Amino acid sequence: MNCLSDGTLQSYVDGELDKIELQEINQHLASCPTCRSRLELVQSQSERVQRALGGLAASNEAIDPAPALARFRAALDDEWAPKRGWWGRVFAPRLRPAWGALALVGAVAVFLSVAPARTFAARILAMLRVKKITAVSVYPVSTETQTDQRTAKMLSQLISDNVVVTEDAGKPQPQASAAAASKLAGFDVRTIAQLGAPQKIMVNGEAGFQMTLNRGRMQAILQEAGRTDIQLPAAIDGALVAVHIPRTVMTAYGNCPEQRMRRHGPGSQPESQAPPDQSESEDNCVFLIQAPSPTVSVPPNLKLSQLAEAALQLAGMSPSEAHSFCQTVDWSSTLVVPVPGNIGSYQTVNVDGVSGTLISMRSDRNRYSLLWVKDGIIYSMNGHGDPNQALNLAASLTD
Amino acid sequence: MIAETAQSLNALVPARKSRPMQWPEAEFEAVFLQHYPRVVNVLMRLLGERTRAEELANDVFWKLYRTPAIRDGDGRVGGWLYRTATNLGIDALRAGTRRRKYEDAAARSQENAASASPLDDMVRAEQCSRVRAVLAAIKPAQAQILILRASGFSYKELADVLEAAPGGIGTMLSRAQAEFRTAYLQFHGAEEEL
Repeated sequence: MNCLSDGTLQSYVDGELDKIELQEINQHLASCPTCRSRLELVQSQSERVQRALGGLAASNEAIDPAPALARFRAALDDEWAPKRGWWGRVFAPRLRPAWGALALVGAVAVFLSVAPARTFAARILAMLRVKKITAVSVYPVSTETQTDQRTAKMLSQLISDNVVVTEDAGKPQPQASAAAASKLAGFDVRTIAQLGAPQKIMVNGEAGFQMTLNRGRMQAILQEAGRTDIQLPAAIDGALVAVHIPRTVMTAYGNCPEQRMRRHGPGSQPESQAPPDQSESEDNCVFLIQAPSPTVSVPPNLKLSQLAEAALQLAGMSPSEAHSFCQTVDWSSTLVVPVPGNIGSYQTVNVDGVSGTLISMRSDRNRYSLLWVKDGIIYSMNGHGDPNQALNLAASLTD
Repeated sequence: MIAETAQSLNALVPARKSRPMQWPEAEFEAVFLQHYPRVVNVLMRLLGERTRAEELANDVFWKLYRTPAIRDGDGRVGGWLYRTATNLGIDALRAGTRRRKYEDAAARSQENAASASPLDDMVRAEQCSRVRAVLAAIKPAQAQILILRASGFSYKELADVLEAAPGGIGTMLSRAQAEFRTAYLQFHGAEEEL
């Protein structure tokens, strides 16, 4: 065998030779003092250089790829987001100051606020249902920052990645009369007598979707939002949340522009560029939404109050406020609506023989929403102007 | 508001995005999760700064996302990733010589967090800065193989990254080490250190 090359000696030092090569080289080294001394040189050089380079430390903390991936996705989303879905519109600049709370409304409606009714305890999933609505003031931190836009995108991406549509609502169906709508929707549709016949009645199809909660990504989003203080309960990871939304009915009165109808209706198309509700003439537009409670199925061990606490903190509540509020709520049946305290306020009112919540927004041309639940149907009456008008209108609802 | 929300959730159905995907989502995600920490660690060794390393790692994955052809073939993705990462990292190292002082300050705080003695810290930080100066000065291909080897890459992995035959790695490594040592002694003249 010829004398060994530096490369071979290097491979020998690094233990990168196979058995046969190793045997041959050992034999050669045993009989070749020149190669033995060269081996020593190669070995010493290698050790020195590796020692010097080994001083360059990698990170002394574990590198978690999940937040990085979430950021990457957000950037990707940014790149390819020519159209805005509902979620995108929620985070449109006009509404951004309240995004935390609005995101919360979505989250709450989907899986937070209606807690396990134990009637189905024997099943794997617990079925949840809205029986009551409670509003709560939250004070989102001011948000015109890039971080928040990114966080919003991450949320949006999370939803589009993890939501599986199980039932497609299809397009809303216009109906000629309340009677026809009642027949299609399967419950008695009520109208506002004082306002005469509705300008438009739409019935939205049933919809269903499932979402597998991914704690890592949700926590990454919180981290991105700068809220490392909020810890999501470990139990939520992998929990399957299934939501079923029955047929809902929207009745519109007065001068409600088509665009506005679409915006509030299901199956909304992406909005056109122009802001939709600048016109004064639509101030007399009132729409009433009637919806049987969506049902939400969650694993029985999912502690919704803990999730709600985290969500309320994200919306701007202090941890102690969120905690004490969550203690006061009957999570078995309550849908909690956070009202951003900087742009809106709410009061508890008597409406339709039950207790309801009247929310008035200072922005959006004094928009109001009157919410209540009666006989298993959620009502939401929306308009502009004096919020007390909503109470008068509600008093004239047909039976 | 609630009903609107419920309805708006319906609206998610048509609003779900169909982005022009070059990579199947799950596949790209798996690659990201598998390689990201190691890519960052390699870049941290080169640059001594976690934030910068993560920035560059992000750039690497952007490039990967835009190069879907890499998907085909065994081991090519990993090789491509670390080749691209070290190329970018070495470029940044070379470009950053003017910023060296600031980087060293950052490196000092990160690389020696575990050390007990401030004096040791200073000595080590100085040593790191010398090593990086040499890596910036030698041929990029040699800096590349050295930093990868120091990051624990096997010959097989090195061959994938460098698109070389595994049998040639020993020679490349030996040459790179000799070059590094010569340059180090030229720069710093400290025989006892190397």
